[in-house]
Amino acid sequence: MSDVLKELEGILNVTLPGNLVEEVIKVEEGHFNVMSNVTNAFELMKILREDAGIYHLSTISGVEKDDEFNVCYHIQHRIEDEFREVPINLIITKIDKNKPKSPSMLEFFVAADYYEREIYDFYGIYFENHPFLQRLILPERWPDDVKPMLKEYGWEQIKEITMKITKEGLEEAKQ
Amino acid sequence: MKKVLVMGGEALRNHAKGPVTKHVLKRIAENPPPEDIRTIPRIIEDRCIMCGTCVKVCPTHCIEIEKDDKENGMIWLLKPQCMWCGHCQTYCPVDAIHIDRDPNLSVSLFSFNIHQDYEMLVAKGSYKGDVADKKLSELIEAGGKRIKEVEEFRG
Amino acid sequence: MTEQYRSRFRALTDGSDAPPGADHHIFIGPQHPWCEEPAHFIIHLKGERVVEADIRIGFNLRGIEKAMENKTWRQNTMLIPRACGICSAVHQNVYVRLVDKLAGVEDQISERARLIRMFSLEAERIHSHILWYGILAHDAGFDTMLHITWRDREIIMDIVEDFSGNRVNPALMLPGGVKRDIPKEKADRAQPMLDKLIKQVEYHKKVFTEEASIRNRLEDVGILTKEDAKKVTPNGPTGRGSGLPFDVRKATPYELYDKIDWNLVYYNEGDILATTLVRLDETLESLQICKQVLDQLESTQGELLARVKQKIPEGSYFARGEAPRGEDVHYGIADGTDKPERYKIRAPSLGNIDATLKRMDGEYVADMPVILRSYDPCFSCTNRVMIINEVTGEKMILNQDEFARKAIKAKKYNRPFF
Repeated sequence: MSDVLKELEGILNVTLPGNLVEEVIKVEEGHFNVMSNVTNAFELMKILREDAGIYHLSTISGVEKDDEFNVCYHIQHRIEDEFREVPINLIITKIDKNKPKSPSMLEFFVAADYYEREIYDFYGIYFENHPFLQRLILPERWPDDVKPMLKEYGWEQIKEITMKITKEGLEEAKQ
Repeated sequence: MKKVLVMGGEALRNHAKGPVTKHVLKRIAENPPPEDIRTIPRIIEDRCIMCGTCVKVCPTHCIEIEKDDKENGMIWLLKPQCMWCGHCQTYCPVDAIHIDRDPNLSVSLFSFNIHQDYEMLVAKGSYKGDVADKKLSELIEAGGKRIKEVEEFRG
Repeated sequence: MTEQYRSRFRALTDGSDAPPGADHHIFIGPQHPWCEEPAHFIIHLKGERVVEADIRIGFNLRGIEKAMENKTWRQNTMLIPRACGICSAVHQNVYVRLVDKLAGVEDQISERARLIRMFSLEAERIHSHILWYGILAHDAGFDTMLHITWRDREIIMDIVEDFSGNRVNPALMLPGGVKRDIPKEKADRAQPMLDKLIKQVEYHKKVFTEEASIRNRLEDVGILTKEDAKKVTPNGPTGRGSGLPFDVRKATPYELYDKIDWNLVYYNEGDILATTLVRLDETLESLQICKQVLDQLESTQGELLARVKQKIPEGSYFARGEAPRGEDVHYGIADGTDKPERYKIRAPSLGNIDATLKRMDGEYVADMPVILRSYDPCFSCTNRVMIINEVTGEKMILNQDEFARKAIKAKKYNRPFF
């Protein structure tokens, strides 16, 4: 693991403190997975954004595991002289399933806004210090407590809810 | 380097040509749809072994297999739901499906004929109980066009 | 950083939370003659100048990610191109590469299959770019150009139809290779057509750079500087017009893009003309790539389809591809069964919204159509079907499964559908 961490540090030209990083995996040549838990993720992102100068956020994806949530920040380290990018997946682990909370990275990336709101819609993960954590994608009539991407909601259930809210909408339009 | 009337030549040329629309029918006759156009799949009944691969790989669930107690099977195709992807053809282990080349079949969901287009009975045949299903699902999992094994299995 | 982009955090539909100084509010969409796509734009004006702009999305959620978790990897191959209407091949390509990597068959894919995949991708880029700058000319009030570009676009559409059987959605790719071959006679037929299209695109470029009536509408409009671009992180042609020289094909080469001779196009001006020129030059580059691919296909032989098992082993992979609109991002997790555990898609348009809103600051309201069009907006359509019974006037909303059940019953018992 330490070899991979050294290689990543060499590419980024910073030192990543060992206590912030849980694990570094090399997926393929020039493509890394970095694991970090909820408490340390903000500090780690600060180093990546401010010291290493990573400014491009591709997307954020939420993942539901058996006993925890993961949030994955897909960021690109850009080497402008060579027109090259190094994809880094920063995976935030150990997000509690009962009270899902994660630090918002809006301070570092403007683009994080839409992606974080999307995850809040789909998974109900609350992003701390986000100034405007509101519904982005789900329809207006969608019930607040139903987070559609969770495994507990099957495809049939989602269809039922969709039909119900559409029928409500139609009935309202009739009146 | 800003100019005006860069497209003047084009405009004059098009003006001399006259209306384009009068050639449309001629152009359609000259350029028929390509041979490999994608339309609806057909099942060759002699070859079909009722293995159910097409049912499993169909993304829109438009192929259905129906079995009665006398070990006979029927395959139904819901024509309006088919999106002509050709997955059934790709994964069929015995090459029993071919894509129809008739462009007139290109009906959309909203232009169907009530009495013809809901579905077609595409194949009838016999299957051999649960054991057969299990063996065939193993074959399907192995993937590829393993015709020989399928033939052996059928006896 | 958040104060700078305050516009994004206003709870507005009626203009009550308007920015200070704004005296007029324009609401565009979700149904609007200018934009065929369902998005809601809110533009705050002071006089004729834009103070702030905002967008609302989500009128068209189809739930593809959820649907993918309920279908097998094989079925999803044909669902994934439906994520986007016009850049369908790139979505399929990214998906297919992701499955190849997870299944471990990356090395078994032949060069010929990769070349055919590349041709499909580049043909799609060509027709998408030509369509886009045609509509841009239409938005700028230059309809002649719209008709001319769309006439010439038919050339590449004919080639795609000849090769794949479909006009817009070629769907040639499968995990492990491709579905159809490109035989020699088809390639020979396509070569002169590509030559003709190159001439036409060069002519389009001449019009866009020289003709005053279109150039004045695009030059120095909606400038996005490099510093701003670094903050709002646009991708694809939007970023390359502002001096961010990143293209996934060069940044992390996939398929055979590192073995083919092509140039990265980027401009530093940052206005709408720069993004237009990026796309025009890219079209020419793509045409050259297409010609090279067809040349190489003659001398390359190989299996078209490698065997991929139904069950994909455990693992996760993050794959990217360069769509016509920008960077297309997929993240897939497999859990050892034949269905994906999680599949995340991010289409390029979502990443470019910020940059477009930034472009609008301080511009004239008359330039809004051009600026809004600049990032090539692309949303999508719904998965429900509505049927109106003509006799009773009653409306039913059916999803696909119910529709199918009803149809079967109607057929079986020989009775009318409704």
